[in-house]
Amino acid sequence: MRAVRLTLGAAGVVLVLVGVRLLLARGLPDLVATVVWLAGGVLAHDALLAPVVVLLGVAMLPWLPTWSRGPAVAGFVVLLTVTLTAVPVLGRFGAKPDDPWLLPRSYGALWLVLALAVLAVVVAASLLRRRRSGTGAS
Amino acid sequence: MSTPRPPRRLRPPRERDFTSTLRGPEVAARVGLWLGVCFTVAFLTGVWSHLYQNQPPWLTIPTRPVWLYRVTQGLHYLSGTAAVPLLLVKLYAVYPKLFADVPWRRVRELVLHLLERVSIALLVAAGIFQLATGVANSAQFYPWSFSFRATHYAVAWVAFGALVLHVAVKLPVIRSALTRPLGDGERPGTGLTRRGLVRVALGASTVATLSVAGGTVPWLRRLSVFENHDGTGPQDVPINKSARRADVVSAALAPTYALEVVHGAATKRLTLPDLQAMPQHTERLPIACVEGWSAAGDWTGVRLRDLLDLVGAPAGSDVRVTSLQDHGPFRYSDVRGNLAYDPLTLVALRLNGSALSIDHGYPCRLIAPDRPGVLQTKWLGRIEVT
Repeated sequence: MRAVRLTLGAAGVVLVLVGVRLLLARGLPDLVATVVWLAGGVLAHDALLAPVVVLLGVAMLPWLPTWSRGPAVAGFVVLLTVTLTAVPVLGRFGAKPDDPWLLPRSYGALWLVLALAVLAVVVAASLLRRRRSGTGAS
Repeated sequence: MSTPRPPRRLRPPRERDFTSTLRGPEVAARVGLWLGVCFTVAFLTGVWSHLYQNQPPWLTIPTRPVWLYRVTQGLHYLSGTAAVPLLLVKLYAVYPKLFADVPWRRVRELVLHLLERVSIALLVAAGIFQLATGVANSAQFYPWSFSFRATHYAVAWVAFGALVLHVAVKLPVIRSALTRPLGDGERPGTGLTRRGLVRVALGASTVATLSVAGGTVPWLRRLSVFENHDGTGPQDVPINKSARRADVVSAALAPTYALEVVHGAATKRLTLPDLQAMPQHTERLPIACVEGWSAAGDWTGVRLRDLLDLVGAPAGSDVRVTSLQDHGPFRYSDVRGNLAYDPLTLVALRLNGSALSIDHGYPCRLIAPDRPGVLQTKWLGRIEVT
């Protein structure tokens, strides 16, 4: 175990150093921009997304009947994470006027379909739970 | 341990303020395992793609199977997309650690604690960076000033190295978490269980993957609501850069056009009718874009090796093909001897039964088996033995 950990640890450090060397070779302007984006990603998660999710949970969950809390959280996780992967296509930020074959879909409408499908599954799962638990009280 | 009292003033949270038993090593280790698989696949396929584009002298990449790059690059794109929900749930599970007490008084512990924090910061920063830049690149969105390809490649080593280091540091915690039952020590709540959260992470990852998979796995297209290309394009094959954006329209349509084939002092100039008069071959080959999409087409044209024979190049020569573009990072590409002399490697004049459209590289373009799309040089102006 100890030998495995030491070997893995050393390999990890070497791989990181390879990356750092490649970054340093890019020159100062690229390096600065990269560091800004590296730090920005951490800040966007740790200081924005994560606290907002915590606050949303604290604010919203007490309003939901207990039998729907599990499905609601599950639906929220699916919709939030999948939406984040789709931000560049939803915003059409990379669209080119001379390439109609790039970003060909109505992504906003399709997102709505996805959101409704998730909502339908959440509602169905919630009702199923209510029936199983036998408590109709909200 | 004191019982938590309501704070009188707002203060930063502490690790013990997070009371949900959903957060912790049980969920983190299980979701982390899948995340580790995704990162490993993305790293290996990414390095593989880099080797194609910067082929070192000691490496000869085989030309078969013709679809190999299509599969490895599709895997790269899909494993990166699949990682996004997994990373977010993993970060949820470990978020309280961000507020863990720092052992300021005990020097040895402090050093280890800070080293671990640095390694985790590297992993989180590089991980988020890779997924965000990769996802943006697949939709041709570049809101940064650095070079995407070089930087995505460099940070990949940082991310993967930090991951390996993280596994080394956490191995005892991971082993213990994976050998204990998932529900060990779990307080029943009203919402999700740990088992539920792990399933939701895997489910979200599957939905994210399916939402883009159609770009490279055509039979999944109906489910792929967020794919960046839907398989349509000029002559039923998508493009990545139009002739207008490459600033090559007038050069490509010039009536004086001729393809130069050069070997030392020997130069041969071939007009389009000259090329059409040579033996034509039709091959079904995929075009696989680094940005994740791929599509197969029936390409018709002259074998590259037939052109090289015209100037007396020795069999197996390395070749550089250059576009009519006068700028752009992929203006030329190098073709190794084994690929240049492969019978499937064509200078294509036609696609899917009609003359090559200008956006596909009219008058002629390179199309070779098992090769990244950006290296299938369009609007060929010159072929030179190197």
